[in-house]
Amino acid sequence: MNTRRPVAASLAVLGYIVMIAPLIFVVITAFTAGSTVRFPPDGFSFRWFEAAVTYEPFMSALLSSLQLAVVASAGSLALGVPVALAIHRGRIPGKGLLEGLFLSPLIVPELVVGLALYQQFMIGLGLNNLTTLVIGHTVLMFPYAVRVTGASLALIDPAVEDAARGLGASPMRTFVTITLPLLRPGIFSAALLSFVTSFNNVPLSLLLQSRDFRTLPVTMLDYVQQNYDPIVASTSVLILVGTVLIAVVAERTVGFAKIFGGINR
Amino acid sequence: MRRRGLLVLLLPGLALLLAGFLVPALIMVLAPPGTTTAEVFSRLVRMLGDPYDLTIIARTVGLGLVVTVTCVVLGFPIAYLLARSQSRWAGVLLAVAIFPLLLSNVVRTFGWLVVLGSEGAIGQTLVALGIVDEAPQLLYTPLAIVLGLVQLFLPLAVVSCYSALAQVDANLDEAARGLGAGRARTFWTIVVPLSWPGVVVAATLVFAGSVTAYTTPYLLGGSRQRMLSTQLFQYSSSTIDWAAASATAVIMTVLVFGVAALSTVMGRRSRTS
Repeated sequence: MNTRRPVAASLAVLGYIVMIAPLIFVVITAFTAGSTVRFPPDGFSFRWFEAAVTYEPFMSALLSSLQLAVVASAGSLALGVPVALAIHRGRIPGKGLLEGLFLSPLIVPELVVGLALYQQFMIGLGLNNLTTLVIGHTVLMFPYAVRVTGASLALIDPAVEDAARGLGASPMRTFVTITLPLLRPGIFSAALLSFVTSFNNVPLSLLLQSRDFRTLPVTMLDYVQQNYDPIVASTSVLILVGTVLIAVVAERTVGFAKIFGGINR
Repeated sequence: MRRRGLLVLLLPGLALLLAGFLVPALIMVLAPPGTTTAEVFSRLVRMLGDPYDLTIIARTVGLGLVVTVTCVVLGFPIAYLLARSQSRWAGVLLAVAIFPLLLSNVVRTFGWLVVLGSEGAIGQTLVALGIVDEAPQLLYTPLAIVLGLVQLFLPLAVVSCYSALAQVDANLDEAARGLGAGRARTFWTIVVPLSWPGVVVAATLVFAGSVTAYTTPYLLGGSRQRMLSTQLFQYSSSTIDWAAASATAVIMTVLVFGVAALSTVMGRRSRTS
């Protein structure tokens, strides 16, 4: 602890306790041998981890969440990276407005977007919930694709691209051999942010759930409301471990702070 | 780039944004299923005069403000100490602070059920120490919601403050102190004003997040401590009152846009002064 700044140091310690302590209690509870979420836990066992990985509703929801997150991230990148290219490389009027438009899904409350899609797509047009979820999540991930890849595009010197074109490369070839490789860290950051955000999403997915296709966070939320046993704690620990692995990969490849700096600015 | 090339790049994304977001959001306000624009607006006006609805709005805004102030008060020192530290542990501590942003809100909020529940850590500790006979009711209180939301948004406050503080030259602190300013005076006259835009961004993100969050008020506030988000879900999933749902959505959206506009003004003022 920094003893020269006692006030700042105490506040910082308090902040870390609020952020981390509840997670430590989840981990402790997950290893209980008892049948309730109680503190202190009754003994030590792995029984709730076994219960978690064999509990069909959670596992099929996990699969659904993973599929949705992959499709939505890929979709938002496929449509969003070209938009970032047009904004940063093309001469178009109203660039700021256009970028603002693609960031707007970050500002409008997600629950409101969910309600709008539920009313117009599922009730109005009769689309199934999977289609609606894919559309909603893809739109919601646009800000990451447009902003994060845009920020890394802004760092690439256009002269390099001009040089390639001057040497006779077609625009397509220039993009594939010059721009894309330089853009890779930005695209990786955007993909990671979208994947994690889509996977964890509750408000947008909440009204769009159906019996056939439900995401993991929404399923867990419903479960906690009806039962209160340690299976949610052990499932949480499994998600925690997966998230730590993602964080380590992110740190090794692009750098953690950099990824989160991208969307904030 | 030629015009046609630009259109090919822009149009698919723009089409999905319009069809999958902007148009549905507009229709939701202007013509929800089975009702009319007039109905939504008359419902909106009625809500703003109804004591029950006003309690929910006041609770949402009030808790949002408490969470915002708490996150800045706890997040700024974390960011400040990390940005000024030469220790190699600073990087690890920064990662620990940012990491929860990757973690599901359901997992983070579930932790508070384990801590605050009647069989949970705090209640049982108080009973074991003989301070109380029976575990106090900590869940489904405003305090529970505030704790849950602070845990959720503190990392966001740390990141925003950190990126602002990292740009403030540490030599300026040294210079002020060299000229005879004390530690506190240096902090308030040099560090805070120069990192103010980051604080404004942090406060905006935290407030907007708090007044629209669903998972935390649902799990920690339940039906006893309704917020706008849980109320909106109630209207659209159990009572199926589209006019009320749309009116609530309008209030939430106006709140968020209002604070975003306010922060733009505050950010601009800090740049010109």
